[in-house]
Amino acid sequence: MAAGECFEPLEFVVTRELNEQYLYACEDYNPIYLDTHNPVAHPGVLLNMSNNTRSPSFHLPKGWSEIHAAETTEYLNPAPLYKRLRVTWEVIERYEKRGRPYHVLDIRVTDEDGVEILRRKMTNTFAAPKRP
Amino acid sequence: MITRDSKTGEEFAGKLKKMSWERVAAFSGGPFNTPDWPRKNIHTDLKTAKLSGLETIYVSATQYLGHLAELMIDLFGTRWLSSGVTSNLKFIHPVAEDDTVQIKARIRDIAPDGTCTMDVRCEIQDGTEVMVGEAACRV
Repeated sequence: MAAGECFEPLEFVVTRELNEQYLYACEDYNPIYLDTHNPVAHPGVLLNMSNNTRSPSFHLPKGWSEIHAAETTEYLNPAPLYKRLRVTWEVIERYEKRGRPYHVLDIRVTDEDGVEILRRKMTNTFAAPKRP
Repeated sequence: MITRDSKTGEEFAGKLKKMSWERVAAFSGGPFNTPDWPRKNIHTDLKTAKLSGLETIYVSATQYLGHLAELMIDLFGTRWLSSGVTSNLKFIHPVAEDDTVQIKARIRDIAPDGTCTMDVRCEIQDGTEVMVGEAACRV
C-alpha cells in the first residue's frame, strides 16, 4: 500500500469476557480490569485489536508474514468496557532498508463518543516465504 | 511507585512471564468465541509459521507491550492510561514460544515538570534483549 492509503477500519467492543481473555494471556490481574463498576480494557487487548492484521482489508500473499519492527504508543484515555471502539490505520511512510520493504502506520483508537483512547505509530517489515 | 523523589538510575523489573502456547494463543488467536479459535497465524500455528520461513512459533511483540504496560501501571498508576507514552521501541530479537520474558525499566530523568523518562527493555531467559526503547509519564 502507498503512503496515504488506509486499511478498512475495525469496530469492536471489549466485553468482560474478552478483557479476561487478555488478562489471562498477559498474566495481569490488576483490579482496575476486574472492578465491578468501572472496569477498563487491558492495554493488551487494545494493542492487539489495533494491529493492522485485524483490519478486515488486511491481506498478505500466502507464505508472507508481517514483522513488527518498531513502535511508539500514546495512551490518551482509559477504554471502558462495552463501548464501541473504532480503529483506523493509515500508511504514512513506505521505504526499503537492506532489501526489505517497510511501512509505517498511523493508528488511532477512538470510542463511540469520539474520545481518543490510543495513538500508535507502528513500523512493520515483511518476510517472504522460504524457497524450497 | 515512582515519585518526584525517585532517583535517576533506579531500576525496576516486571514479573517473569513464560510465553506458553496457551497464553500466546489467547493473545493472538482472536476472541475465544469465534468458531475457528484459535485463528491460524504465525503466532499460533507451527505449520503457518514454517510456511512463512520461520523455524518455530514466534510471539507477537504486542504481547510483551502488554507486559510493559503492566509494569508502567505498577510504577505510574492509572495515570499511565491517560498520559503514558512509549517511544522508539525497537524489536531487535524474536521471542519464541516457551521463552520467558521480563520487562525492565530504569529512570533516565525526572524533569522539573514531573515528567519521568525511562529506558525500557525486554529480556528473555538468557539475558538477550528483545526490545529496547523509552517510556515517559508524569509523576
